[in-house]
Amino acid sequence: MSDLPGGAMANRPVHFIWLLDTSYSMSGEKIGQLNYAIREAIPEMRSVADDNPAAQLLLRTITFSTTARWHHKDPVKVHDFTWQDVTPDGTTNLGEALALVAGELRTPPMPERALKPVIALVSDGAPTDDWRAGLRAIEATPWGRKAVRVAIAIGADADRGVLQEFLANPELRPLDANSPKQLAAAIRWASTAAVKAASQPVAGGNGAGDGPTKPAAPYAPPVLATDDDDVW
Amino acid sequence: MSALATWDILETSVIGYGKGLNQDSVRTGGTGAATDPVVLAVADGHGSASYPRSDIGARFAAELFAAKGREFGALVRTGRLPWLRDYARYELPEQLVRDWQARVWAHWGRQPGPEGADAPREEVLRLYGSTLVGAVLAPGLFVAWQLGDGDLTVVDPDGRVRLPLAPERAELGDETASLCLPEAWHLVRVHWEPLPEPARAPRLVALSTDGLSKSFASDAGFTEFTSGLYARLASRGLPGIEDDVPRWLEAASRHSGDDTTLALALRAEDGGAGRDGGVAGADPREAWARAPEPARPWGPGAETEAEADPTSDLSDPPSSLSNPGPNLSDPLSERSDPTGGTRNDDEETERP
Repeated sequence: MSDLPGGAMANRPVHFIWLLDTSYSMSGEKIGQLNYAIREAIPEMRSVADDNPAAQLLLRTITFSTTARWHHKDPVKVHDFTWQDVTPDGTTNLGEALALVAGELRTPPMPERALKPVIALVSDGAPTDDWRAGLRAIEATPWGRKAVRVAIAIGADADRGVLQEFLANPELRPLDANSPKQLAAAIRWASTAAVKAASQPVAGGNGAGDGPTKPAAPYAPPVLATDDDDVW
Repeated sequence: MSALATWDILETSVIGYGKGLNQDSVRTGGTGAATDPVVLAVADGHGSASYPRSDIGARFAAELFAAKGREFGALVRTGRLPWLRDYARYELPEQLVRDWQARVWAHWGRQPGPEGADAPREEVLRLYGSTLVGAVLAPGLFVAWQLGDGDLTVVDPDGRVRLPLAPERAELGDETASLCLPEAWHLVRVHWEPLPEPARAPRLVALSTDGLSKSFASDAGFTEFTSGLYARLASRGLPGIEDDVPRWLEAASRHSGDDTTLALALRAEDGGAGRDGGVAGADPREAWARAPEPARPWGPGAETEAEADPTSDLSDPPSSLSNPGPNLSDPLSERSDPTGGTRNDDEETERP
């Protein structure tokens, strides 16, 4: 194999960024269930990564409340990733969090040679800052326009209109998580289906390399069974 | 004058690591002699659950290009280059896309999926989505077309590697233009390169699906691959690497995760002596004068020409050869002046 011509070979990264609402309204059971669901989803993400050896799955986490901050700032390979619980503490500054993500979707720091990044937004309320400014910042980056986006709405108070605008694709819908079981299923789906979607080719390029594209939905949220025992 | 080039060709395709079906397709043929142009085509079906028939779409794409490319190569005459250039830029891309879409639609009609024979045409085309890279090498002319991802690499006599059809900015992620898109001919990139001086003609022309280039950690690594490939070809000859190429492509597929296909034409050192009934060292363009005048790819007789092609799938609808050709008053009366050395003329096909 040493006779192989050419430079070094390598698989391509999939940057997966959790965007988690940690406002006061998440206090109690919701935040506990969120921590539990993500921790339980990690092995499944590893399994997806194993099934896609051409993709190197890298994880990061941003939390947003009165401020947005990195919970895991440096991209960590999924097999090295350990979940650290998040805690609630303030309002819902989603716009700040989106702007933080946008900064990471520029090239650099994002390499041009990569698979589509995944942005997974989880929220139970309505933003308290200029969230559209943050969304515009993401749309202003080439990788932001190409990113696979998923949104999970926790409980009845989640602003689904905001989440729908975040998805930026009329064919997609936020995934409702109105109970602990639904939240666990939604996190599991977002952790795996979105990664698969990011590593599959899509017919939809416009030849210019930077235009917003609206390919046929590469992934579809599952229909989650209702859970009458414990509804948020 | 030195002899014009003839070519040795090689094609190899390997299935993506861990995949159950190779959704690439490749077709090659010809020697580059006047009556036998080299035609190379690679097509990359998009794969995944969203494009379940893309292996068929890729096969249709490669087959159609092989037929169209041979037609095109047979038309090459020195005095025809101006209108052939217009034909290459505008007519052929549209014919390829329309014919591919018609063939896909006909296939669906014969073998409809669960969506039924009356499923929306746009949705049906998507199921077969594929890219296409094709090239024709005829005496005095090298032309290539590309729709979607994949790579055309060329090695010049001085060993320089170039990628004439590389987009200014590559698509991010795994998004690609495709034959399944509406009016996809607008997205076809065309490389037009007259070769008036055989000594300056490319030594190696290679087409590959993106499974190869995406396996390298950098663009430079892929360029080094082509340089290394040419160096090995120069030292061992084409038979000397035939057994190695599948192994190299398998290594690539382990990193890209994709089916990986390579088609190449290596300029033969002997200038094609004895091929095509020619004389060693003779200028194959002399055969132009002896060869019967080929039919143009439009107008009366065009469909007969297409049906005679042994690669045509007669069960599929005829190609849109009745489309009018370039709007030129008398193409045969036009003259080109291919004396200025190798000339590159790459551009997107943008209709006026």
